[in-house]
Amino acid sequence: MNVSELAMVTEQALGETAGLHDELIARLKRAEPSAVGEVYDAHHAAVRAFAKRLLGDAASAEDLVHEVFLALPKASHNFRAESSLRTFLISIAVNHARHHVRAAVRRRRAISHYGELPTARPADPEQDARRRELAALLTRALDDLPIEQRVAFVLCEVEERSSREAAAIAGVPEATVRTRLFHAKRKLREALETEGAR
Amino acid sequence: MKRDLLDEAVSALRDTDTASEAEAKQTRADILSGLRRTRVQRRTRIAYLLPIAATFMVASAWGAASGQARALWLGVEHVFSGSAPSAAPAVKKSAPLVSAPAPGAPTLTPTTPASEAPLPAEPPPVTAALPVAALSATKASPSAQPSAGASDDPALALYRAAHAAHFVDHDPARALAGWDAYLKAAPNGVFAPEARYNRALSLIRLGRIAEAKRALEPFAQGQNGGYRQQEAGSLLSRLPTQQ
Repeated sequence: MNVSELAMVTEQALGETAGLHDELIARLKRAEPSAVGEVYDAHHAAVRAFAKRLLGDAASAEDLVHEVFLALPKASHNFRAESSLRTFLISIAVNHARHHVRAAVRRRRAISHYGELPTARPADPEQDARRRELAALLTRALDDLPIEQRVAFVLCEVEERSSREAAAIAGVPEATVRTRLFHAKRKLREALETEGAR
Repeated sequence: MKRDLLDEAVSALRDTDTASEAEAKQTRADILSGLRRTRVQRRTRIAYLLPIAATFMVASAWGAASGQARALWLGVEHVFSGSAPSAAPAVKKSAPLVSAPAPGAPTLTPTTPASEAPLPAEPPPVTAALPVAALSATKASPSAQPSAGASDDPALALYRAAHAAHFVDHDPARALAGWDAYLKAAPNGVFAPEARYNRALSLIRLGRIAEAKRALEPFAQGQNGGYRQQEAGSLLSRLPTQQ
């Protein structure tokens, strides 16, 4: 197969993929459960991971995932081809996250109040326990951030997305994301230092 | 040191476990059943709403074609504006319709000389002879009063004056002048059909039967989209054939 044949085959494949993608979006707009199922199978792990990192709570994350995919057919009318479907799903999650964050924070504080925080398990190896503890510390520190700064931090630092992508997800200018990230990191460093000194 | 601690915490958070496969499957099933439920609800809603919408559209089309929609709309406007239908009936049941005939004009009362206006052997009272619908039309034309918000319009002020003379003061001469003034100011105004019809009634009351007939004929012929067609036809059939 020469170069031009290869280019043609690639073009054809790309065209078919785009066609399938368009068809999937059209089915989503018609709220076909099978289309939502396909999108779920392809992207639920990414959405769930983001939700867990943002909320710091598996149960709240599961609720958010549920809400995102239920909202998907209606939201798909606003889908623009320039962003990927996964990015679009994350942006839905961001839009629905506010009350889930509040619920997760309340739950964590209640658990913390009763001294049942499931962080440092003595049975775990030392390193693993330390990492779990650090993750829990960071999650608690995130609880004190405004939701916008929290989202910017999780998107850029934890999920390692570019500020451009984070801006597209949050629907704000890139500079705003960078500013939020700057303030978030400053506050989190302070919080971790304070907690670490205890 | 600070940077390291934050980076380490971020890395730890990144590596936290997510849901198990079973949980993910359960959530998937919940989502799909929720979507199916929503679809069924939407279809049920459509099954109920579609016939209602179709009925409404057919009724609207019929109303527009037959000219009833306008009267209905004005009636609804009356209900929501809170204004009662015309304050007073145009004709007192006890009073003859033609109470003040113009000088030299034939009257509809039995006292009219036979040479001028032959009447049936036993003429009923004029108010009884007139169709009930025509009388009620004079009482409560739903569009008889323009809405309060239109008070700035001089043509509507003329309409109001004519309306008051016709329905409140029962002064057919002044009412006729009022309707003429309104129709001169707004020959194609919103209330022009009502004004023309009420003008015809004023002419009857003044005994100007030939003019009244001429004024009623377009209504009877349905030139106003069916508005007052039946009443006008009925009135024309009961008015004396000669003046």
